[in-house]
Amino acid sequence: MFRNTPVAAQASPLTTLRGWAQRAASSRTLTLLVPVVMGLLLAACGDGNHPRDTLNPAGDGAQVSAWFFWLYMILDTVIFIIVCAAMVVAIMKFSKKKGDDDSLPPQSHGNMKLELIWTVIPTIIVLVLAVITVGGVFQLSAKPAEEQKIVDVEVIGKQWWWEFDYKNERITTANELHVEEGTQVSLHLTSADVIHAFWVPRVSGKRDATPGRTYPLYFKPFEKGEFIGQCAELCGASHARMGLKMFVHPKTGPDSYDNWVKAQQAAARAPTTALEKEGKKVFETKGCKSCHTIKGVAELTQRSRTTGPDLTHVGSRSTIAAVTLENNVENLAKWVKDPQSVKEAALMTNLGLSDKESKAVATYLYSLK
Amino acid sequence: MSAKLLDIESLQAPEPHMHFERPGKTGLVDWLTTVDHKKIGILYLLSGVFYLLCGGLEAILFRIQLAVPDNTFLGGETFNGLVTMHATSMVFLAIMPMTAGFANFLVPLMIGARDVAFPRLNSWSYWTFLGGSLVINASFVFGGAPSAGWFGYAPLTGAQYSGSGVDFWWAGLALLSASSLAASVNFIVTILNLRAPGLTLLRLPVLGWMMLVIQFLLALSFPPITVGLILLGFDRMFGTLFYEVSMGGDPHLWQHLFWLFGHPEVYVLILPAMGIVSEILPVFARRPLFGQTAVIFSGIFIGFVGFGVWAHHMFTSGMGPVADAAFAATTAIIAIPTGVKIFNWLGTLWGGKMTYPTPMLFAVSFIPIFTLGGLSGLMHASPPLDLQQHDSYFVVAHFHYVLVGGALQGLFAGVYFYFPKFTGRMMSDKLGKVHFWTFLAGLNLTFFPQHMLGNNGMPRRIYTYPADAQWDLYNMLGTVGALIMGAATLVFVYNMIVSWRSGEKAGRDPWDACTLEWLTESPPKVQNFDFTPIVLSERPVWDHKYTEGMEIVAPAKGEHFHMPSYSWKPMICSGFVILLVIGLLMNTFMPGNWLWVISAVSGLGVVGSVYAWVSEPV
Amino acid sequence: MSAIAAEAPHDDHGADHGGHGHEELVENNYMKVPNVKLALWTFLGSECMFFGSLIATYFFYLEKSISGPLPAEVFSIEITSISTFVLLMSSFTMALAVDSAKSGAMDKARNWLVVTALCGSVFVGFQVYEFYHFFHMGLALQTSLFGSTFYTMTGFHGAHVTVGVIWLLMCAALVNNGKIKAERAVVIESAGLYWHFVDIVWIIIFTFVYLLEFAK
Ligand code: HEA
Ligand code: HEA
Ligand code: HEC
Ligand code: CUA
Ligand SMILES: [Cu+2]
Repeated sequence: MFRNTPVAAQASPLTTLRGWAQRAASSRTLTLLVPVVMGLLLAACGDGNHPRDTLNPAGDGAQVSAWFFWLYMILDTVIFIIVCAAMVVAIMKFSKKKGDDDSLPPQSHGNMKLELIWTVIPTIIVLVLAVITVGGVFQLSAKPAEEQKIVDVEVIGKQWWWEFDYKNERITTANELHVEEGTQVSLHLTSADVIHAFWVPRVSGKRDATPGRTYPLYFKPFEKGEFIGQCAELCGASHARMGLKMFVHPKTGPDSYDNWVKAQQAAARAPTTALEKEGKKVFETKGCKSCHTIKGVAELTQRSRTTGPDLTHVGSRSTIAAVTLENNVENLAKWVKDPQSVKEAALMTNLGLSDKESKAVATYLYSLK
Repeated sequence: MSAKLLDIESLQAPEPHMHFERPGKTGLVDWLTTVDHKKIGILYLLSGVFYLLCGGLEAILFRIQLAVPDNTFLGGETFNGLVTMHATSMVFLAIMPMTAGFANFLVPLMIGARDVAFPRLNSWSYWTFLGGSLVINASFVFGGAPSAGWFGYAPLTGAQYSGSGVDFWWAGLALLSASSLAASVNFIVTILNLRAPGLTLLRLPVLGWMMLVIQFLLALSFPPITVGLILLGFDRMFGTLFYEVSMGGDPHLWQHLFWLFGHPEVYVLILPAMGIVSEILPVFARRPLFGQTAVIFSGIFIGFVGFGVWAHHMFTSGMGPVADAAFAATTAIIAIPTGVKIFNWLGTLWGGKMTYPTPMLFAVSFIPIFTLGGLSGLMHASPPLDLQQHDSYFVVAHFHYVLVGGALQGLFAGVYFYFPKFTGRMMSDKLGKVHFWTFLAGLNLTFFPQHMLGNNGMPRRIYTYPADAQWDLYNMLGTVGALIMGAATLVFVYNMIVSWRSGEKAGRDPWDACTLEWLTESPPKVQNFDFTPIVLSERPVWDHKYTEGMEIVAPAKGEHFHMPSYSWKPMICSGFVILLVIGLLMNTFMPGNWLWVISAVSGLGVVGSVYAWVSEPV
Repeated sequence: MSAIAAEAPHDDHGADHGGHGHEELVENNYMKVPNVKLALWTFLGSECMFFGSLIATYFFYLEKSISGPLPAEVFSIEITSISTFVLLMSSFTMALAVDSAKSGAMDKARNWLVVTALCGSVFVGFQVYEFYHFFHMGLALQTSLFGSTFYTMTGFHGAHVTVGVIWLLMCAALVNNGKIKAERAVVIESAGLYWHFVDIVWIIIFTFVYLLEFAK
């Protein structure tokens, strides 16, 4: 193939092989790199059961992405192996050996035919990829048909938590998105302050939540369960603490999506124990009302950047403060007493509650199932 | 084939007649007033290496924070500040200045010129760059580093959401932009107009070509970000509404302005490294670059197409399917010319007679490492896939393979290769090999597992992560790898210092190389060449040595020429420009008439120093 | 130092921004364009991107302001037409300056440079008046996107004209004290390139920002 094969390479195959082995063992350790990198490359793929594994899709969006990943992965591996193989062989064959004189190798300046080959083949590959990619782009952005059931949610990114508004169902909740298995989800993403990005890796690719704009994200989850996600666009000090969860409910049964909707639509549960009543009083008197809604207790009309999550059913959430803490009375008390110690720069004011007050309000909030 | 006919050392030329004032001064004053492209080049290189250490130190600090889950070594704000400053330092203050160092030192030598076209403007560029870099870093002292990420997306950079670090950031970058505009104008004229007789564009070495291409990229891509930064500065200082969402402002405006610069910028970072690799491989394979013309044209093509792909950084921003598809397609096209380069390099190795001193090791390892990074870039170019990878560690892996494995390794190769020309001494090959192997190990240890982290859903720029996310192993590896790279870099710096003082003496042409810069002494005399060489091929020095009838002939009579003298004016002028920016910054600390006083003083200063500059006899 | 340089066959008391001491290398001038002029062309290429970005920003935000006053309410086409005419004329006088310099009539060139600079100052004066006027009609930088984009775009153009005026006056001074001689007419030619460029940018702004507002 190469016209200018030097004399050394034309020796008998056996001596050539032996020569290669010797050289590989002596100074050409560079070639070691290749198996190491390739080994790692393989490790990259099968990585077991990971909570945010983009290659273990649980929604159709993630599935398309994963399909594209494998397509590109296989192609890339082949190209990478070709490049590495050519390099390794060149190093083994065309290095200066001990005892070689100073004469020059053939001074060829190029080879038109070869150069055409390695321009045309990649061009074809790229064109094919482009066509497939364009198909994928339009598939992922296709607006879902109107007649089917759609879980329609407005998502508002806020420093550093998520608000989920189910306009049709009249539910407002935070940080935990509930949807239905096998039902189309249509999210409308926006932001109250800076840019955030909504990302639940196992279910779908991400989309930015941009202030002043609303952009859609469509997907259909096909696996029941709890999926973790996180804000994916740098949004300030606590960007790392802007987690979210997606709960995919079955269509029927006690745990069904419809049951969840009904429970959320109910007004807040009234306090029963003395401590809960005490907590409700703290909530009403200590200024919590200026930022939080509890339906039937305190409702906000004005909303602003620092306006906090709707707490009507806060007790039903599995975590608080955007998946920063597990939801229980101790953690709620800890949060309410000193939010900034839990989450850097959190926009909830430290109202200087005493231990007793925070314990009471935590007990009350936790009872709001 | 033919053996060596002649030696470069044997080339004798009659003494030239010179009118010049260089070296005008000595010691520190010499460095401040120099207009010699070689000294300015060394200033750029040393500044670049210094900021490489700073950027690396910042990386090591935030890598320590990421080593284990739920770590409390750094808080979120500090972490974001370090990440932002890491990227800003590495991109603008390390790689670009090192590149500028090579361009300054080598381009005039490669083209057989005595200096750049505008030597004083060259000095102005350096001092303005230095001022800009100091302004950016001053943020650490005054109110904290900028922490909105290196692409500073609006509205996070707005006064409402970010501290004064962002003021230092935009003002410093605006200074760098002015500096780089001046430099690009200078180098375009130099390369186009000052080539020695016979050095046609197709005989211009690949490195010279890549330097030319990036000057065009800089001249045309910096203005959009400059405008973006000015609008940002106006928003922050004067309350304009460019990025103010509540008044109708659109955050995408910034994104377009930034990436219209940002994408060509990444080719500004990589093309010089590719040029260096293209110079080194033929020397140590001892044969010409395979398909040199194709390598050059693919570089030009990359530069062109690089302007039409910027929105591939915005696939998740909701531009809509038509824009996504268009930018995906244009982006993928860049794989073709890049592949041409890769394969032509392999073609150069194939059939050669290779030896492996340190520069060759770095140049060879550039090929697979860069390819790996390029191939993951190709993945990003497909929006359905990029929706998952965007802003995840997969992207971090992509760009460190091309930036560290590509740009930085290429520049390392260049330092080892050209060090004898810069200083007259060889760098230690033994230490060089230690540097190479440890760096390569650290590089792969840190950045390879980041592909897996990305696939496992780890977003970038998070200062901490919970244990149950199962990201701890790969992050620990990354931290260890960063420390290894840090150690390797210290070996490199140590090698530079020791070799500069007491390395083995190098002759004119220690590597038996090809291009004009090896014709002259190491380090070159102040006038570069004693006579203007006449160039007959793309490998003039090689052909001088090995090809009958292609010798470079010195004239019988000494030539006559004039070299410009040292000058204080450029530094003074750039001082006033920097003062202007400091005045703007002061305004955020002490609002009031300060701004106008300082602006007036520095404006008059600029005008005065320019007038002094242009009426200076030379 | 001057003594030595005066002896040199290529006397090049350079007055351009650093294009000094290298005329001897122009022998290898492949582009057939003098260094200074080539530099200016490159710089203007960059300036095209600069103004391109500013003008694009203006149009990106056109009609996106959520509060008035609107462009049509503040623009006064008569006044701006006059200042535009003055700037256009200055391009003409600039051409005369370049012509004179090329033909060696340095005194004449100097005079035309001063006239051009005067025209430029008149234009800047009009702009200051216009800004003042708009401001009093309730349009400030912070009023609306229109205010922000309009003032920034035209302000940067005005700043370029101001720089041009200083540049021309510097050239005139250098001609006056003999530092720009007829051989270095290229320096004046380059200043002229810049001046024409700034002029063309204004034509674009005037046409697309002002006139279109009234064509609607
Ligand atoms: C040196 C710098 C450099 C270089 C050279 C590149 C090269 C490329 N980059 Fe990269 N990129 C960055 C630096 C660089 N990039 C940075 C810094 C970012 C992140 C910025 C940030 O967000 O902070 C980024 C991000 C980035 C994104 C956005 C990702 C995201 O945020 O979602 C994309 C998307 O398309 C992309 C694509 C590409 C492509 C297609 C190339 C191509 O040029 C690569 C071409 C090379 C090859 C393909 C390999 C060799 C070719 C062959 C062997 C031929 C055969 C191949 C085929 C036929 C396919 N890059
Ligand atoms: C050319 C550019 C370049 C280079 C060379 C590097 C080099 C390195 N980068 Fe960088 N990186 C970027 C450009 C670059 N990076 C960019 C653009 C980003 C995106 C930022 C953003 O999101 O905004 C980024 C982000 C980034 C991240 C992601 C952070 C996040 O998203 O949270 C990480 C994480 O591991 C990382 C690590 C490293 C490491 C370990 C190195 C190593 O190679 C460094 C090697 C170490 C040294 C060179 C240090 C040697 C010095 C010493 C040991 C100390 C001695 C000091 C003195 C005497 C002063 N980088
Ligand atoms: C300045 C406005 C403000 C005030 C006052 C305020 N909060 Fe908050 N609150 C917030 C914000 C903002 C958040 C979201 C913080 C985050 O996750 O980053 C929040 C979060 C919470 C959460 C966690 C909700 C969830 O689902 O994660 C609870 C519980 C809570 N607040 C209770 C209280 C109580 C009790 C008080 C009164 C003692 C109070 N808040 C006062 C703004 C406020
Ligand atoms: Cu919200 Cu990151
Ligand atoms: Cu890019």
